[in-house]
Parts: sequence; C-alpha cells; structure tokens
Amino acid sequence: MTAALELSGLTKSFGKAEIIRGVDLSIGKGERHAIIGPNGAGKSTLFNLITGRFAQTAGKISLHGSDLAGLEPYQINRMGLSRSFQITNIFPAMTVFENVRCSLLWSMGYKYSFWNLVASSKKLTDGADEILEQINLTERRNLPAGVLSYAEQRALEIGITIAGGADVIMLDEPTAGMSHSETDYIVDLIRKVTENKTLIMVEHDMGVVFGLADYISVLVYGEIIATGRPEEVRGNPKVQEAYLGEALEAEH
Amino acid sequence: MSDKAKTNASPMRAGSMSLTLTPWIVAALLLMVLPFIFNNNSSITIMNQMWITVIFALAYNMLLGQGGMLSFGHAVYMGMGGFLCMHVMNYVEDFGLALPLPLLPLFGGLFGMGCAMLIGAISTSGAGTRFAMISLGIGELVAACSVIIVAFFGGEEGISGDRTYGLPFFGIEFLKQIEVYYLISFWLMLSAALMYLFSRTPVGRMANAVRDNPERAQFLGYSSRWVRFYSFMASGFFCGIAGGLFAINYEILTEENLNTASSGIILLVTFLGGVGFFFGPIIGAIAFTLLQTVLSLETELWAFYAGALFLATVMYFPGGLAGLIMMHVPSYRFGNANKLFVPYIKTLIPGLITVLGSAALVEMIFHYRHGSVGDNEMTLFWITFDSHALVPWIVVSVITGVAFYITKTTAPALKEAWGDANTPPTSGGAS
Repeated sequence: MTAALELSGLTKSFGKAEIIRGVDLSIGKGERHAIIGPNGAGKSTLFNLITGRFAQTAGKISLHGSDLAGLEPYQINRMGLSRSFQITNIFPAMTVFENVRCSLLWSMGYKYSFWNLVASSKKLTDGADEILEQINLTERRNLPAGVLSYAEQRALEIGITIAGGADVIMLDEPTAGMSHSETDYIVDLIRKVTENKTLIMVEHDMGVVFGLADYISVLVYGEIIATGRPEEVRGNPKVQEAYLGEALEAEH
Repeated sequence: MSDKAKTNASPMRAGSMSLTLTPWIVAALLLMVLPFIFNNNSSITIMNQMWITVIFALAYNMLLGQGGMLSFGHAVYMGMGGFLCMHVMNYVEDFGLALPLPLLPLFGGLFGMGCAMLIGAISTSGAGTRFAMISLGIGELVAACSVIIVAFFGGEEGISGDRTYGLPFFGIEFLKQIEVYYLISFWLMLSAALMYLFSRTPVGRMANAVRDNPERAQFLGYSSRWVRFYSFMASGFFCGIAGGLFAINYEILTEENLNTASSGIILLVTFLGGVGFFFGPIIGAIAFTLLQTVLSLETELWAFYAGALFLATVMYFPGGLAGLIMMHVPSYRFGNANKLFVPYIKTLIPGLITVLGSAALVEMIFHYRHGSVGDNEMTLFWITFDSHALVPWIVVSVITGVAFYITKTTAPALKEAWGDANTPPTSGGAS
C-alpha cells in the first residue's frame, strides 16, 4: 500500500542556513501523525515545503505516490491535500457561510465557472451548512468571519480546511493560544472531522499530541530523531534528552 | 427529507429574489422616464455621457472593488474598444454591410476583452504594486502608440465616423440623440445586470476571496492568478462595450480616450462612488458627470472642486458616497434614523455654508488674479459685486468663519446622536 504522504531525503536551505536537513518520513493512510519539536526546529518550514508554499532544495515529496515537485499550492490542494495555518488565515470580510462556501467551490466542480450562480446551487448551500453544523458555527452563519472569537475563527479555519473533502489534512498548531476549555473543544472537533482521513499536525501542547496522535515524529534542528507510537517516543532516551524531557516538565 | 429542505429554501429564495429585483426594475423605469423629465437636448447629452461612464466605472470596479486590483491604465480597454467600433462603423459604411448599429458595442467588448487577455497574461500574476505599475506602463505605451500607429489610432486628430450610414434598425436611423439615449440605456441595463451576476458566480466569489486573502484561496484549489485573469478579462469586455457606446455617441475617438488622464478620472469616479458596494460606481459616475458638465458651465475651477471632493472622500469617507449611504442602514434598522434628523440639519446646513463660502473665496481670488484688467465685476450666487472692493471680502470671510464655527460647535452633538442612533434598541438583552 502506498503511503498517503512520503518524504525522502528532503532538505531546504535559505542561503547558507540549512533549515531542513534530510527528512525521511512515511505517513500511512488514515494515520494521525503529530510532528513535535522545539521552537525553530523547522516544523512550519516542513509544512510549507509539503504544501508547495516553498520549493525544496533537494529530496522528494510524494502524495499518494505522485511526486509534488514544482507544483503550485492550488494544484497540490486539488490532489487532496489541505492545510490550516499557524496564524489564522481566513477571509475576514466575508461571512462565515461564504468562507465555507468558497472552500467547497473547487471540489464541487465549479472551477472558474461564470455561468453558474452560487446562490442558486442547493448543493453548495446545503454542503456549506452541513460543514457549519459540524464545526458548530451555524449560529454565526451570517456574521463577518473577522468578528468571531479567536477559538471560533480557529474552528472556522478547520472547517475551511476540511470542507473541500481532502483526505490528507495538515494542521499547523491548531490549539496555539487557546485556553484549556477551548483546547478540549478543538481537539474533539479535530477528532470528529478527521475521521477516516490522514491527519498531520504540528503541535506544542503535549496533552493534545498524546491524546490525538497515533504516531509521533520528533523534529530537532531539521532532522527527525525519532518516529513511532506515542509510548515509544516518550520512552526514547534521545528524545528525552533533546526535547521531550523539558517539554513534559513544562507541562506539569 | 428533500421535501422539507425544499420548503425551507424556496420561500427564502423567492423573497430574496424579489428583493434583489426591485432596484433593477426601478432603474429600468427611471432610464425610460428620465428623457421625458429632462427633455432638452443638452440634458440628454449629459445623460448619455453619464450612462457610458457608469458602465466604464462598474467595469473598473470589477477589478478595484471586487478583485482588489488597482489599475492606472484602464482607459486603454475602453479606448481600444471604441477605436475598433469606429473602424467597424466606417467599414460598414464603405462596404454596405448588414450590421445593425445596436450590435456594434459587442465588437468593442470582444476587442476590449482580447486586449485584456493579452495584457492580463502578464499583469495579473500579482495584485499589488507590480500590477499597478504594469497597468500604468501599458497605459503610457498605448497612448504613445496612438501617434505612431496612425492607421489604427488616426494620429492626433483621431478617427471619426457617422453612425447614421449603417442599416436602419427597425426603421431607427439613430439621427436623434434620444434614439442613441435608448440604445445606451439598453446596453447599460444589460451590462450592469451581467456584471452584477458575474459577482455572484463561482469565479466572481473567488475574486473577492483572492482580494481578501490570495494565499488562502490558493490552498482552496484556486490559482489566484487565474481568478485575477478572468476578472480582468470580464472587466476588459465591459470597458470595450463602454468604448463602443462612446464611439456611437460622439462619433469620434482620439488619443484622449485612452491616455493616463482618462484612466485617472475613472479611478476617481469609482472611488468617489465607493468601491465596497456594487452600486457605488453608479453613484460616482452620476455625481462626477454632473460636476463635469453642470459645474463646468458655472465655473472654470470645477476640476479644483472635483479634486477637493476626491481628497475629502479619501481622507474622511473611504467608503465613498455608497459607503456614506450604507452607514445609515444600522440606525434605520434600529428605527433610530429620525433621531439623526435634527442634529444633521444643525450641523450640515452651516457645514454647507462653510463649503460654499470657501468656494466663493476661491472664486474671488481667481477673479482678482485672473480677471481681465478693468473688469472688476463678478457674479457669485446671483449677486454681482466688485471683486476689488474690500466689503465683499469681509462679508464672505465673516459668513464662512461664522458658519465654520457653528459647524464645529454642533459637530460633537451630531457625533453623540450618531452613537445613540447606532445603539441597538434593546436595553439589556444579550440576544
């Protein structure tokens, strides 16, 4: 079975600074995979490489077995990979409903159509309302997205990310900056909406990571020093030394 | 299940449909009736110019307002469409082809779209400074070409034609201005409706998305470049239609129709009207054409006032005239609009006097400096006086000063009333 996402020998340099230094990683279909590591380890860069925001210096990225080299973000998205951002990235001037509707357009086959009216498509309206139901924002439907609370905006971003029906979902620190109750809420939401999908996420909150992930990879200075089941990673002395000891201590 | 969904959706849709259709019907009726109210020839000429500017401004706002692209060279697409129509018109005359005049703007539209496709292929890769600079460069380039490629642009005197030589269209020869008026009105309704519908299609919605957040749009499967390109193309089409109507109305096109000054004016018109709402450019085009035609009859300094108005819009009402109108919707919804009436009168009447007084001073300075020697008499607001005497200066200054003072002292009360009127009526309900 081909992996949902496979990275081999991936490197990225900005000038002389080597940020990603040879990453090999294989993520199977339906897996929930968390990438953890100290600040500046290159987690977000790794995300940006996979989603085509940056071009890699060397190495290969393949999604369901096909090479992503040279593809634009929108082409990668059409192949079934969708992502959220560390800093909330929505359409603040549009209504919540329109945010979701926009994210459905391509996957429902509307492409660059100028002969369909969005308002007269029941499929679009119902689809968007269904997503709003899933992310519990039905009551906020007609408000501009920019006036929502932070947690609601994050929920909306997750909604936008999953709406297109992508089967590989990448979330960049989905719970950053949230209170405990908000975090619990978002974790439940993520679990619900990524059912039967491949989830790859960067996260600092160890509670979230160990609660949600099937597999964990630890990225330190641009290299993956360990990959495995949560309990294996937790017990790994290298990880303890490089990162997790401090992180777990900081948690308690 | 589907039955239930249907009953839920259909009344809502029918309701919103009739709501959105009303302004269109009113506009169509107005277009039909206006020539009977303003039935002298010069009014019809002004209205013809106005409706052409409306189409152009709406097309321009497809880029600026809907797509977030600031173009400094948009007169090119209108001008190109116009020049082509002029050539087609002459061709039809020379060879006696069976092309009814009302269809002519379509050629302008297609040619405008073709030009937009060529140039858009380069310029739409970004929306910021790069796009603006390319549009400016192309604008200059085409304007310069107009004296080089004489066969197409006709050099300095431009090219002219005669709209009446074509085939009569159901007996109408388009000899009279009023016939041209209805032709322009027809194309105005059609273009405006199509542009409105465009903004409701998937690509039109994504134009908004790309404007707000191009990166997010990319991660939703849309290439922001292609989305911009399609908007640019559509805008070029409607600019070309406006150009074709210009050719029919004036029967002459010159370099002036596609130079940077014309491009600047349409930016001004659109911004003045308000880029945030579909109907903004319509208001802007009407207001600006009135300034340009009616005010220019009254004073040589009309461009100065238009400039001052534009500056005031940018600084104090970035939403434009449309934004100014829509600002009042919340207070109207809360049923508080009447609370604003008295404060408005108290502040705006002295405000108006301040503006008129300042304008009078400007006019007097202009007359004092530029009036011909010995001609010291000038007429302002139906009063004739000596601009070299001291008394008029004192009177106007005092009136303006006092009016300004009253405006200033009543402004805080207006502000308070404004805040009051925009507070939801419920006292303590968190609904």
